[in-house]
Amino acid sequence: MALFGKKRKKRVCVLGLDGVPYELLTRFTSQGLMPSIAEIIKGGFLCKMKVPLPEISSVSWTSFMTGTNPGTHGIFGFVDLKPQSYHLRFPSFKDLKAPTIWDKLGEQGKRCMVINQPATYPASPINGVLISGFVAIELEKAVAPVSYLSKLRRLDYQIDIDTMRARQDHDYLFRELNRTLEARQRVVDHLWEEEWDYFQLVVTGTDRLQHFVWEGIEDESHPYHQLIVNYYQKVDRLGAKLYEKFSRLTDGEGQFFILSDHGFTGIRQEVYLNSWLRQEGYLNFRVPQPSSVDDIGEGTVAFALDPNRIYLNAKGRFPRGVVGENEAATLREEIRRKLKGFQHQGERVVEKVFLGEELYSGPWVAMGPDLVVLSRYGYDMKGSVKEKEVFGRSNLQGMHTWDNAFFFSGEKVNKEDLHITDICDMIIGFFN
Amino acid sequence: MKGFTIWFTGLPCSGKSTLAEKVEEILLERGMKVEVLDGDVVRTNLSKGLGYSKEDRDINIRRIGFVCHLLTRNDVVAIGAAISPYRQIRDENRRLIGRFVEVFCKCSLEELKKRDVKGMYAKAERGEIKNFTGVSDPYEEPLKPEVIVETDKETEEQSVERIIRTLELMGYIPPEESEEYTKEEEEKIKERLRALGYI
Repeated sequence: MALFGKKRKKRVCVLGLDGVPYELLTRFTSQGLMPSIAEIIKGGFLCKMKVPLPEISSVSWTSFMTGTNPGTHGIFGFVDLKPQSYHLRFPSFKDLKAPTIWDKLGEQGKRCMVINQPATYPASPINGVLISGFVAIELEKAVAPVSYLSKLRRLDYQIDIDTMRARQDHDYLFRELNRTLEARQRVVDHLWEEEWDYFQLVVTGTDRLQHFVWEGIEDESHPYHQLIVNYYQKVDRLGAKLYEKFSRLTDGEGQFFILSDHGFTGIRQEVYLNSWLRQEGYLNFRVPQPSSVDDIGEGTVAFALDPNRIYLNAKGRFPRGVVGENEAATLREEIRRKLKGFQHQGERVVEKVFLGEELYSGPWVAMGPDLVVLSRYGYDMKGSVKEKEVFGRSNLQGMHTWDNAFFFSGEKVNKEDLHITDICDMIIGFFN
Repeated sequence: MKGFTIWFTGLPCSGKSTLAEKVEEILLERGMKVEVLDGDVVRTNLSKGLGYSKEDRDINIRRIGFVCHLLTRNDVVAIGAAISPYRQIRDENRRLIGRFVEVFCKCSLEELKKRDVKGMYAKAERGEIKNFTGVSDPYEEPLKPEVIVETDKETEEQSVERIIRTLELMGYIPPEESEEYTKEEEEKIKERLRALGYI
């Protein structure tokens, strides 16, 4: 058995549960629905954790893996604009501007196994193995080194599910989520036997399920409630297996972490920021049916990108920019003030509006948004330009939140107000 | 097209001159006016006679920085490639030039020695070369360079791509038509993002 052949040394194992809010974890563990994770967290330290805005996986996971904020790592969202243009682009792992935890550990000769890490596509070499997660497309480009491709194929590994189909067909959703999780477990078992110092698995099915059937989590009589619970129990068993293997291997010499990259809550209303900007006279389109930001018309002073980023149409930054440096500060304050008073049926929609420089620091701040809108729970900000109304609902049920991700560590963390950017140094510190 | 300066810094043999030449080729192909100021070349003309004391090194780097500044303000892309070991002087040049992109060529000492065909590292270790950066003279790594290229871990092409991509993202040069993803891949990404309500 490989266990006896493995050297006792400092090791870290990280289990990422994408999008699982603190409250849901504590509810499922206290209700006995996730008994193994309940047992694990009893023996350590569990707390809420904050994540950067926008509170989406590409930004959060990148902040986790680099220990830096978007102003330093350069990833502000799943979409961005090409420089000097209104054309959308999709930032990839190659756009990352800061070294990752695996780069840093690799420099110390530590070998890392990383499975299903979002925002790392296309995978680039690390000292170990990296398997990219969302938005990875082709397995060939999602694995580094590529020599592991045939092993993954033999193990019937699947990067993701067909999310568009899953959004409509929830039976398919659960079937595929279970199948994908089983494949990840096989890859865990396989890579575990290799030599490593750092092992990480991210489960992304939790996020998908919460986007599509959040109501089934809250409502125990919901037709999908039991399937949701079954999936979490499967995650629980996976966590238990990982923890047991890790404990046997390290005999107290290791650190086991469990964390999520953002929280979740139910959607009351989707809020289309571009429609609001148009309603307030800041934005117009040159065509009746706009399909992208590229369709903004003359005189537009601000527009939004998903989910909650507002950009001034600044001279010098955008080809049809109209906002000069002198007007920018006043305009930002004006939009901020109006957003603070923005209401839906007599209820405030916005919790807070941040200026870019209030949230971000580092050499890439100027590439980011001018304003970031933090909505109140239930109001899901969207950057679509296709909606005519300011409020609406689609068949999505869950939205991300920024202040109730969770973090578990075997040892107490002496830091109040823990942020996901704190974790990278914590792990590096453990090895040092 | 406004001028800017790309400043390569790093230990001897870390790949500064090689990458500077490659980046120069690409920028020339894209129709830009480019001038390279290579530390080794500058020491044979502009800075002839200067030695390797801290004072002389600082003068050398300030001179290269000043020429880069003149070129930049006349809308030329200036590329400086010199060890430039002291952070303070590099930062002085950054302040003077403004449109400044610092590229840190990072490489392990082990790999540097392997690359060193002239055996300078070995001579420096034996004490035959005095004030040799990285052995008997200090090198202060940049704290916030715009680009870090790990020349012992990535290929030359990867490093060049990283630099060019940064220049594009910072708006110093227009992006090339070809993007990271093919049209087909972009469509797949869009569909995934659309399914989760992101676009």
